[in-house]
Order: sequence, then C-alpha cells, then structure tokens
Amino acid sequence: MGIVRVLLAEDDPDIQKVVRMSLKVKGVKEIVVTDNGEECLAKLNEFTPDVILLDVMMPKLDGYATCRRLKENPATRDIPVIFLTAKAQHYEVKQGLDAGALGYLIKPFDPMALHDQIADLLASKGRAQEGQGK
Amino acid sequence: MKERLPLDILNSLTSGVIAVDMENRVVFLNRVMATRLGVHAAEWEGRHAAELLGHVTPHMASAQDEMNLRLGWPADPKAKRSQELEWRVDDQVVNLREDSAALRDANGAVIGRVFFYHDISREKMIDRMKSEFIAVASHELRTPMTSIKGSVDLILSGFAGETTADTQELLEIAQKSCDRLVRLINDILDLAKIEAGQVKLNRVPMELGDIVERSIRGVKSLADQGDVELQVERPDDLPMVEVDKDRMEQVVTNLLSNAIKFAPSRSLVRVALHLEDGWVQCSVIDQGAGIAEADLPKIFGKFQQVGTRKKGGTGLGLAITQALVHEHHGKIWVESQVNQGTRFIFRLPALPR
Repeated sequence: MGIVRVLLAEDDPDIQKVVRMSLKVKGVKEIVVTDNGEECLAKLNEFTPDVILLDVMMPKLDGYATCRRLKENPATRDIPVIFLTAKAQHYEVKQGLDAGALGYLIKPFDPMALHDQIADLLASKGRAQEGQGK
Repeated sequence: MKERLPLDILNSLTSGVIAVDMENRVVFLNRVMATRLGVHAAEWEGRHAAELLGHVTPHMASAQDEMNLRLGWPADPKAKRSQELEWRVDDQVVNLREDSAALRDANGAVIGRVFFYHDISREKMIDRMKSEFIAVASHELRTPMTSIKGSVDLILSGFAGETTADTQELLEIAQKSCDRLVRLINDILDLAKIEAGQVKLNRVPMELGDIVERSIRGVKSLADQGDVELQVERPDDLPMVEVDKDRMEQVVTNLLSNAIKFAPSRSLVRVALHLEDGWVQCSVIDQGAGIAEADLPKIFGKFQQVGTRKKGGTGLGLAITQALVHEHHGKIWVESQVNQGTRFIFRLPALPR
C-alpha cells in the first residue's frame, strides 16, 4: 500500500521540516503537521490520514495520551498510529505499544529510510489482518 | 557499665537487628527494630520468630516481599543472605536491605542466625534520580541530533539539489560524526542502565555455540571488508548455558567486531568454545598487533581506547561487554602479546546436563 496522507504531531519545528521533507522525497502527497496531541485530534475532523506519526513529549497532550484517545474513539481507532520519538527506553517503547500504537520508531531516524519503515509497519498490520481473515 | 556496653551499642545502631537461636526463638531484638515493629523488645526474648512475624506482615509493602526471617534458614546455616524489602510505615514506604548471617559464639560455633535491617531509602532515591536523569538526558540529546542528522542525510541524498565534491566531503564528515554521537548516546545509556541494575535479562537455557554462529553471520560483512577470515571451533557435546539471547549475542558480537577491527588484512579471527571446570568458555582470538601489558588492566574501563589507531568505536564496548558477562554470573578477561595477537576469554556457568 502506498502512503498518501500522513498526519504528524510534533512540537519541534526543525523535526517537523525534516519529517516533511523525508516523506515528500519518497512520494507522500499530503503531510499535515500539528504541534501537539490536542491539535492532532482536532485535525481528524477534517482530514483522514493513512497513518498518524506521534511524538511523545508534546505540550497540552502528550503522545501516549493522544494515542489512547485515538484508540478509544470508534471514528479514529482504525487509523494506524506510529510513534516517532526520542523516548528510547525499553519501558517507554512498551508504554507506546500498550497505548495501542502499531509501531515505535526512535529518533534520530534515517530520513531516507523513514518512509520504508512506516510502509513495512503498515504492511505487517495488513498481513496480520489477512491472517485473522479480516 | 562495661558489661552493658555491647548491648548499648547494639541498641544505638540506626539499623534494626533481630537474632534467633537454632530453634528460631528470638534471643535479641534491638531498639530500632522493636520501635519499627511497635513492640517491646524485652517481651519477645525467648518467643518463637513465627509469632514476631505477625507484627511484621502489616509492614510489608507488597505480597512479593518476604523476609528471610520468614523463609527460614539457607541450606548451609553459615551462608550469608541479602535481599531488599519494601517496608510500610504509616503511609510511607521505606526501603530496607535485609542481611542475614550465622550467629556464632566466642568459639566460632554456629548458635543461631542474626538479621540486620538497613534503611536504604536514600540510596534508592538516588538510584531513581539517576535513572530519571538518564532518561531525560537521552531524550534531550536525541532531539537536536534528529534535526542535524536528518538535515545532513537529506542534503547528501541530493534532495536539496546537487552539491560540489568539497561540500559532499564535508557533509560526509558531519554525517559520520552524527552517527558516532548517536552510537555514543546509545552506549552511554546502555551502560548506565546495566550498572543501575535496570536491564532485565530474559535468561533461558541455550547453546553458546548457536549464539556464536548468529554473531558470526552478523559480522561477516565487516570481516569481508577487512579481508579477515572467521573460524569457529565448537565441540558437539558442550552443555547449555542460561543466557539472554540478545544480550549474549551483543557480548559475542562486540568481541568479534573488536577482533576484526584490529586484525590485519588476510589474517584469521578464531572463536573457540570448550568446557572447563564447570564453565563453558568462549575465546575470541585475533592475530592483530596485541595490547601492551601496561594497557591490559584498563582495557575494560570506560573510554579507554588503547593502541595508536582510532577505530571508530565509542570506547564503551568492552565496558558494556564486561558488565553483561557479570550480569550473567560469568567472568571475562584478556590475554595478549604484542605483535602476536589478543585473546578475549569469557566463561559462563555450565548448566547440569
């Protein structure tokens, strides 16, 4: 599956640019950027992405809480969420996956590999669903 | 006055003390311990420890906490035992370390057992602060590294247009240093976690040879680049060892990649496994320049890159390797001769067949 629309929640403007450029160079058409979890949730009223990329440490609503809210809401729970964060400790990764995320990517990331890492995670989800006969 | 002095000393200790005789009857309870339990020491002398435990249980912070006093004696009554407990006093949790040892008379005969309870809450708090610092520092270092590495990698990919050869070369230097910094951050964090006892090993019985084979596959391309041949000597009948697969692979891979980095072109790096005195022993042997005798004692230290050539490591690899071997109750050491090569040897307790 090609990635067409991405919603990013990230409070660091420099990292926002790097993520945007890394995905754009690999052909992602629409990348909508928000500064925190609250904005990310609000944006979903007008935009349905193929995948949501979440930072963890953000003002207003952090990434873990954002992910939990996304997964609690029937309207958004099927959108895959992938963390993209500098929180790299084992228990932090577990916290992200326990919140319902599909994957957990650690910063610093390789901008030329980011798209493929996201695509691999989405493909693994697709395979798992096929395996369950969905 | 003089006869009472040992008793006064014991009662003035800030650590709790309980002593029991061979039948588990309380022979002594010092003042701190009696206060902690809310009992009068004199009333307890001669009574069975099991009765005292009724006063202990409400203080246990979790169901997992069990005092050695409750668990009884080790198989060898002379053995020392130590464990940490969480102790609840009102609404506060106090961390205690419980040490127990044989109680001996003046002739050295074992006449009971003595339990010491030290308040280690402050040490625990410092440990927590250290862990928090590691987590915050790691996050704060990774964030700017993401922007730097991301920007440099994108420019090098040609995303922002063509660059001159000189610009390309300078950016490649920046990229290499970025990658090195990331490895350094990862290694510092890894070592700090191991040293703080925060790494949970998932130890299962395995053949060390299988782990060596996996590591060999992992370093094959590095060996090919350096034109180094890899060889494994693995007897068929080695007993298993109890290891965390990923962490043990990290140990072997660290030793192997070090050996390859320092091996001359067209030389051999050997991994030899064998059984010795109940240990499964693994030696990683290179034919490199060797390490001067004066440098050997500091080889497992942090940021101790010995020799003249910088090989791009973080200077923490061997410190991490050593810490991981120790976490597996193993031993590691090095033998080397200048101009002949180096042999890193580690051993792990062999499991009964």
